[in-house]
Amino acid sequence: MTPGTTVPQSAGSRWDQPRGQRHQHPGSGLPRLFPASGAVPVDLRTHLSRFTALPYLGQPGRLIPVLKAAGLTGRGGAAFPVHRKLAAVADAATRPVVIGNGAEGEPASDKDKSLLWISPHLVLDGLQLAAETVGSAAVGLYVHRNDRLQDQLRAAVAERAEARLDRIPVEIIDAPPRFLAGEESALASRISGEPAMPRFKPPRVFERGVAGRPTLVHNVETLAHLALIARYGPDWFRGAGTADEPGSMLCTLHQADGRRDVVETQLGTPLGSLVQLGPGTQAVLSGGYHGAWLAAEDAGQLTLSNADLRPAGSFVGAGVLAALPADRCGIAETARVTRYLALESAGQCGPCFNGLPRIAAALGEVASPRPDPRAVTDMMRWAGLVEGRGACHHPDGTVRFVRSALQVFGEEIRLHTQGRCVDPARRPFLPLPARTAMDPADWN
Amino acid sequence: MNGITQSTALWYASRATGVVSLLLLTGVVLLGMLVNRQGRLPGFPRFVVTGLHRNLSLLAVAFVAVHVITAIADSYVSIQLAAIVIPFTSSYKPVWLGLGAVSLDLVLALIVTSLLRARMSRRVWRGLHWFSYAAWGSAVVHSLYSSTDLHHGVLLYTAIACWLAVAIAGCWRMAHAGREIPREGRAAATLEMMSPGRGPRRGRREAPAAQRPGADIR
Repeated sequence: MTPGTTVPQSAGSRWDQPRGQRHQHPGSGLPRLFPASGAVPVDLRTHLSRFTALPYLGQPGRLIPVLKAAGLTGRGGAAFPVHRKLAAVADAATRPVVIGNGAEGEPASDKDKSLLWISPHLVLDGLQLAAETVGSAAVGLYVHRNDRLQDQLRAAVAERAEARLDRIPVEIIDAPPRFLAGEESALASRISGEPAMPRFKPPRVFERGVAGRPTLVHNVETLAHLALIARYGPDWFRGAGTADEPGSMLCTLHQADGRRDVVETQLGTPLGSLVQLGPGTQAVLSGGYHGAWLAAEDAGQLTLSNADLRPAGSFVGAGVLAALPADRCGIAETARVTRYLALESAGQCGPCFNGLPRIAAALGEVASPRPDPRAVTDMMRWAGLVEGRGACHHPDGTVRFVRSALQVFGEEIRLHTQGRCVDPARRPFLPLPARTAMDPADWN
Repeated sequence: MNGITQSTALWYASRATGVVSLLLLTGVVLLGMLVNRQGRLPGFPRFVVTGLHRNLSLLAVAFVAVHVITAIADSYVSIQLAAIVIPFTSSYKPVWLGLGAVSLDLVLALIVTSLLRARMSRRVWRGLHWFSYAAWGSAVVHSLYSSTDLHHGVLLYTAIACWLAVAIAGCWRMAHAGREIPREGRAAATLEMMSPGRGPRRGRREAPAAQRPGADIR
């Protein structure tokens, strides 16, 4: 534990090796969230034999200082301190709603799906703990549309109910396949029975969210970490990661050779040990489609931490890392993704639904042979006009992504002005869904 | 007393800035309706409408400020300081000056809430912004009855033009209330407009598409 953090003394003994129990402290080794081997779903019996019973149930608020000491931050992308959200909602005057967010609208990310598929009971443990900590009686799990996954989750919930593990029933809620569906306020809208579109803040969802009640929204991976911290304590959690950004996280890795994998890794791991950075890779996208491109040689100097990535214009986000092969066109890839991002605008705020398509079209121009020289300056001007505007961070994230491409792929732009391209065939590399929103029903 | 003298300068200034304020406020209301219906000024990008609406409203406030300050400073009629913001307390034409005070108060509220828009609930801001019509309306009645400037001549025609413009724009706004591109299609509509062969870059592409490498990309 770091000096200066306060943890109730009585709780301290709980974190020592739980003697007399059948299963030992797992050590700080990874993986923590997944079983040591195999990608087979962990059923309730296996889960209960692997982990001890949940502490802190029926003790509202007690877990909050423990999480503060652990330094757990949200794993959905924003890296907001978990204990602060919990404290804000626990102090609310009305009974809060607690939602586990597994919408994972980012097409390049698979980690929430994988976690929900393989370790559903860790997430459900975390959901119960969070709910009891803030005194909630309404709990939901917001999951992207996938019948197999949702059926398995419903079965897991039913199994736990039968075993009388959970005091609060969990409802599985369907998230539409929209990029923005997992944004907190879009989630609150959707669960309140409206389209999954972001709302203006304030009020923030922790003040007024689902059905106007204070709402605690945590990414499903965050909840799984929370369930482990409750059992093994902050010291154990800090056994991985850096002092400022402790713990481990799930990452979706896209290798230059086309392999796509979800791994659990410590924060502070060198990027070079996660994605191949050899001569076959020209750049790395970090932070997903709201993140930023890094030149491969720069990425080799950085670790998976906001301390390293923020100064480079990027961030850890939800742990998406994609290595772009040397024989692909970074501008064409960025243009393709930006077009998708523009079409995923909820169409509510002028700067977004007017600005992003313009930026996307201009980038499409830059991606074409002998582009109009005005396209880049137009794009930079529009980028400045949409930044910081609108109800959510969709314009900001898209602009970050586009700007980084203009910086990193400057050489490629010069090639285009000469009518050449590193990949005239324009083979797509980054994953995109087959279709974007076409009518109102797509947002429900 | 004929012509503008030292003693009447403030009075004339107040009347003149009052007329300009009315024109500016009318412009702000018209642009506001255009912003609300997502209209655009011919030949300008869409953000120009929003930018002009904001900047013109700040200019209007400046003129209103001069109008009010000169009215107080002028000694021809005495207007108490409090009567500027507290409606219907003026000893001189209490009702008609009072409507000016109502308008001023509403304009101040609109400015403050718009500056704090990012920090307040969107719904509250929208609700309060409806008061801009009331602000304009009370300013119009105030302008008509607190002086006789608008009762004849060019200024009367100008005033009538202002009323008609807002009335017509109001009808247009109501007629278009339900008519807008559905939210889901807005980005796609803009993208369609921006795609090659349409919009600002029309006619620029010289080489036949099929001859260029990578021509099949969209």
